[in-house]
Parts: sequence; structure tokens; C-alpha cells
Amino acid sequence: MAGKIVADTLEHSTAGSIATNYVVNGSAKAWGHLNAGHDAFEDSFGFSSVTDNGTGDATSTFSNAFSNDDYAIAAGLKENSATNRSCHCNASSTTTIQMVSGLTASSSKQDYDSSYIVMGDLA
Amino acid sequence: MQTPEFQGTHLFDRLCWAKENLDGVQSDYRVVYEDSIDECAKILVPDPNWMACALQGGILPPVWVYWELAKDEAQPDFKKHTRGYLLHQTEPMPAMTEEEAIEYLIQKDVPQHVWKTWNEGNKPKMVICRKEQLPSTREWRNAWKIAEDINATDLAA
Repeated sequence: MAGKIVADTLEHSTAGSIATNYVVNGSAKAWGHLNAGHDAFEDSFGFSSVTDNGTGDATSTFSNAFSNDDYAIAAGLKENSATNRSCHCNASSTTTIQMVSGLTASSSKQDYDSSYIVMGDLA
Repeated sequence: MQTPEFQGTHLFDRLCWAKENLDGVQSDYRVVYEDSIDECAKILVPDPNWMACALQGGILPPVWVYWELAKDEAQPDFKKHTRGYLLHQTEPMPAMTEEEAIEYLIQKDVPQHVWKTWNEGNKPKMVICRKEQLPSTREWRNAWKIAEDINATDLAA
């Protein structure tokens, strides 16, 4: 592949060095931004599809597979003046994550403009 | 654009190449399915970047690779994947048409018990449709079901 650099370590002149496996492993393996209808990606990386399970409930399937289901997920909402709302992972496997958004006060699911990133080791 | 020779290249690197070099393809196809009578219909929407990979060819592994990994994960003593190399070492799929890509995606992302028996009941439990055939608003979303009067003859027409 053109422009390929093969290196095990990156070294800064004063700040020290870092093994490139930390750089690779520290990259998000998948990320997605679901639209306000919670039924399609505005933009994404590393997913093959999103399944709209109902209001505020969507399962995203990875193009790749994670080594196990212990990877890390960070999720957030983009809502003006939003309070008492959440977006969290309800279930996961090595190839899917089910994300649920809604009102924390009433525990009811609601469609919100939400996004998430997934980090961990790939299979 | 010509796809590089990717067999043996990690799938993550291929997806990075695709994100950098291919424009996303927003499909109008939707797959509506019911995997439980107690739940509303689910709607699978293809990811635009993934669809671009499918149409381009030479990037995605064959779907049986995912089935093999799913079998491994279903084992009671599963801890982590040990056959991830199948994703990266297996010869990638050639370019698909959009319709072929949807068929592949169904077999990858829809539960097998749904697509293998989609027409073995009083009504089809899975339908491929166009986006505009879905309700235009999400009102009563949790009550959406595949129509009772739809049948395989309608679908074939």
C-alpha cells in the first residue's frame, strides 16, 4: 500500500517514546452518529448496519468483530437544553451493540440524536 | 478506483482505506423483520460506508466467515475469538450489486432464525422494501408490524 510506514516505536525529541501498538490499539475501532430519528447513521465508521428496534432503541452491527465483548463504549446525546436524558449500551456481543436512549427520570425510551465510539481489541 | 490487493490485510486497515477513498452510498433499501411476536417490527438500514465497500469489491470477507465466528461465540466456554484471521486471510468478496449486497447483509446482520424461515408462517416475517414504503413519521413506532395481508406472491410480483 502506498505511503506505508512500518515502525514499532515513535520517539519524540524530548517527550519520550510510545510503542505503535498503543497507537493502533488506542484508536476507535468503530464510531457512529445516529440521527434524531435514531434509525440511520449520519456518519459512521466500522459498522455494516443499524437496526431500528423501536423508539429509542437501535442495534448496530460491526463490519469487523471484536476479540471479546469486553470492549469500551462511550456514548452521548446531542440535544439542546437536555437534562435527565441518557444514552447507554443495553447489550453487546463481539459483533453488535444495542444502544438505548431516553429519559432517565421516567425510564422511557425516546429517539435522540446520539453518538458513540467503541474502543477495544479486534479479533 | 482500483481496490488494492487486500487478501491478508487486516480488515480494519481495509475499512480505513475505504473511508478515505470511497464515497458513502446511501441505499434506499430497508429490511423489515419480526423476530418476536411480542415486539414491534425491526428495520435494518445499511450503513453507507459498508455499502460502498460492498459495491467496490475486494474489501469485505465472505459472509460465512461471520457465521463461523458466531458459532465460536455461541460456545458456552467462549472467552475470546481465536479465528479472527478468517476475517483478514480469506479471499475478499468481489464487487456486488446493491441487491446482492442487501442479500449478503441480511445473512450477516439479521438473526438466522428469521432469514432462514422468513416464509414459514402465516405471513412473511421479513420483507425487503424501499425507504418510502415505510411510514413517513415515527408515530406509534413501537406498534409497527408487517402487514397481515402481505404474502410471498405479493413480494415476488
